[in-house]
Amino acid sequence: MKKYAVLTSNMQVAPANKHEARRESVKKFLPSLIDFLGVMRQKEIPVIHLQLAYDESDSRSKKPFGCYPPLVRGSDGVKLLPEMLQPNDIVIEKSRDSGFFNTDLDRVLKNLKVDSLIVTGMQAYSCVQFTAVDAFFRGYEVIVNCNAIGSTRDEDTEKAIKTMRKYCASVLESNEIYSLING
Amino acid sequence: MSSDYMIVEDHGTGGLLSKRLLDDVIVPKLKPVYLGKMEDSGIAPVLGNTLAMTTDSFVIDPIFFGNGDIGKLAICGTVNDLAVSGATPKYLTLAFILEEGFLISELSRILDSICKEAQEANVYILAGDTKVVGKGDVDKIYINTAGVGFFAPDQAPLSLSKINKDDHLIITGHVGNHGIHILSFRDGLGFETKVLSDCAPLNKVIQDVLSEFGEGIHYMRDITRGGVGCILNEIAAEIGFSIYLNESSIPMQQETVMAAEMLGIDPLYLANEGNLAIFCSPDISEKLVALLSQYDYTQNASVCGSVQATETTGTFLVTKEGSTRIINSFEGMQLARLC
Repeated sequence: MKKYAVLTSNMQVAPANKHEARRESVKKFLPSLIDFLGVMRQKEIPVIHLQLAYDESDSRSKKPFGCYPPLVRGSDGVKLLPEMLQPNDIVIEKSRDSGFFNTDLDRVLKNLKVDSLIVTGMQAYSCVQFTAVDAFFRGYEVIVNCNAIGSTRDEDTEKAIKTMRKYCASVLESNEIYSLING
Repeated sequence: MSSDYMIVEDHGTGGLLSKRLLDDVIVPKLKPVYLGKMEDSGIAPVLGNTLAMTTDSFVIDPIFFGNGDIGKLAICGTVNDLAVSGATPKYLTLAFILEEGFLISELSRILDSICKEAQEANVYILAGDTKVVGKGDVDKIYINTAGVGFFAPDQAPLSLSKINKDDHLIITGHVGNHGIHILSFRDGLGFETKVLSDCAPLNKVIQDVLSEFGEGIHYMRDITRGGVGCILNEIAAEIGFSIYLNESSIPMQQETVMAAEMLGIDPLYLANEGNLAIFCSPDISEKLVALLSQYDYTQNASVCGSVQATETTGTFLVTKEGSTRIINSFEGMQLARLC
């Protein structure tokens, strides 16, 4: 029997509010994502939030993030959107696009005996896509919830869906994932 | 700030601390390949009567990557630039610009790498320099090199003017692998263990194929910044012929194609650091590929194009579907600091 986990990418204060276009794009998929996470939690599927944060020694920690200060660990912009987070969720900090790069994610998933990942969050063409491909290379089955991902520009999301479907993931809607999990 | 484990300003002032860095770290690490005598000039015999000379600077970010580092890149990049002219690379200079606070342990790793690659390429470090600048004035370490190689007395350098109509084009390795590896290592894209840098010293294989095929080999270029697309455009503009590239014959690793598509980059513009474009007579191309395929660094060599006389000079790609499209040079891409 497959053991699933859900990953969210970058559902944080600064990334979600970087500029007006970003805020609008997040509005489009956030309600679906929150509903989806609720159902997953009811089914006791682990929810893991990948949180972008830079160490002060990282050159990226010097660059402002849109209208926010740099995404330095512990800063307000780094915080996860409160509506995303529940007490039993797992939070893993990352500093690059893939959630696996120099993080404990792989170890955490192996400890949970997870073999199938449901990928959500933003931006679809960067952190979501490259976490999906990294997971695929590491041998996980990868499912992308197309109702629960987004990018500032819709065309970027569409392109990412196309390439992920072509190379590394099944792309499904929330209802299709519920059916899959219910067997 | 301890001068024992990190670079401080006084390491670059020419005083006792500078001497200690040289005597305790740099010279011992480079001893097997260092010919200098700590004087203002390195002195060495000249071989033959024609030399090739090149210079290059290395500012790669990150300085350590999956299967290499800035030191390996500096040696291979310089050696390959000399070797593609047909010269035998012999002497290099090394100039380090170090950021205050840079760890001496990291400098030592880079020196080990320089020594290893110089030994493989059979080149010697004839002179060097070390400067230290303030925190933030450079990013950890930059390296500048110069390289000198020599031609045998009866050997003519390879040159663009030797390229003929109907010549075949061979590409010796997977296109774009260095670029994808570095981008992935820098941004954590998930490809960094699947696609490795091709950075390698190619002078041995170049010397061997030149010995075997001599005049049949007309020209070579080291495919670096700008990738296949830019260097072929530069060549086509100079020779007055068009270059046709067959997409289905270009050596490409599937994961590189995948990464390029996800990044929205044409792999033909991605950098290599151990890949050659060779123009040769059509009658030797298959035998040349057979020889190249026996070497680790050129095992994926393939005849993938030809030189043709056309009304309009340019570089063209014959796609897998059979259509033809122009390969343009690009104005600029945000792919800085790959070497």
